[in-house]
Amino acid sequence: MNAINSILVQSHPLEGWFFGSGKALVVLAVALILLIGFGLWMWRAEARLKKMEAKLNQKTSRES
Amino acid sequence: MAHNVWKIGGFALITYVLVMVFVVPMGPGLLELRSTEGTFISEEMERPIPEYFLTGFATHWNEAPDQLSVIVRSQSNLVQLQVIEVLDDTHARIGVSLPYSLPSKSWDVLINHPVDGTLLLENGLFLSDRFIDESLALPALAIEEFAADLPFHFPYQPRILETIRNLMLHVPMWFTMFVLMGIAFVASIKQLATSRSMVEDEKAEASVKAGLLFGILGLITGSVWARFTWGAWWVDDPQLNGALVTVLVYSGYIVLRNSIDNAPLRARLSAVYNLFAFIILIILLMVLPRFTESLHPGKGGNPGFNSYDLDSALRAAFYPAVIGWILIGIWMYRINLRFTRLNKLLK
Repeated sequence: MNAINSILVQSHPLEGWFFGSGKALVVLAVALILLIGFGLWMWRAEARLKKMEAKLNQKTSRES
Repeated sequence: MAHNVWKIGGFALITYVLVMVFVVPMGPGLLELRSTEGTFISEEMERPIPEYFLTGFATHWNEAPDQLSVIVRSQSNLVQLQVIEVLDDTHARIGVSLPYSLPSKSWDVLINHPVDGTLLLENGLFLSDRFIDESLALPALAIEEFAADLPFHFPYQPRILETIRNLMLHVPMWFTMFVLMGIAFVASIKQLATSRSMVEDEKAEASVKAGLLFGILGLITGSVWARFTWGAWWVDDPQLNGALVTVLVYSGYIVLRNSIDNAPLRARLSAVYNLFAFIILIILLMVLPRFTESLHPGKGGNPGFNSYDLDSALRAAFYPAVIGWILIGIWMYRINLRFTRLNKLLK
């Protein structure tokens, strides 16, 4: 029976634990938070760029 | 709002892909049939029979343990093995009671199960201690094959196993890099054609910077995948080395740009450099690895995922991943371009 136990322990315990215990869902939640955070950051960056471009255009049109 | 739909769409697609990657289960397969070096004595058998240990992957043997049947096959010869005990969903004790004289040393292992269907492990049983007579024919065996009764799942691939999920992250990185470097290539051609304006040069610069990021992410995801399937973070392979050289060549583009102060000269030189960089990209990643031996799928005689095992479940996640990452990449390029232009105007 010892041989069987050693084989049981060797056969991919990490993946089984990762998906079987629900840890995969925690990783998914963290990944989604990071992805959504990155998306919002890009959205805000673009909005700020838009504002700065508008200000710069106003300034250049006033100067000319 | 309408002109932002594609940006939201890109992130929505990647959200969907991530959910698929972490939630969809793997399909079943057989990992190994290994001798326990022990024997088993049943009430019906007079002599002890060698005991083996069958290991499945994502199988469901506990759901109908009595209906698990294990068969070994060599050409047209089939022999049913005795299932001693089903230990759990993926492990069972098997008695291998084959005669001393056999037609072959090497046997395929098949299992039949009402949930998992029929699974095959090629050359799963090797018997070196038998007398081999290739003309031998064992008694015929009638087998009823079960159709699998499984929910939506990713296909089982030997060795790749769970890491098949990385397909949705690793391959789209390179596709996105190709698209962005393609944009830079076109911009560089336009820059050389209309050398007075710097607009195309700015486009090429912004596109290469965004593409380089995806190239580096492709190297990282590929290295992690290699560690778990080939056993090393990096192997001496034409595809891997080609990918690294390509990233270094494009890093050289950034260095070249930063080393020239004269703007028109910088635009012209970096446009010429970029044309050669894109040709090197095509040669190193798409041409050379196909003519040499390579471990990488789709290269050097290895079949790609698309040819036989990119099944409908993988396609449902892989294609949205490619489209989603490309959309995000293009958005990053556009932001980078606007930032570069604004920066120049403020200077």
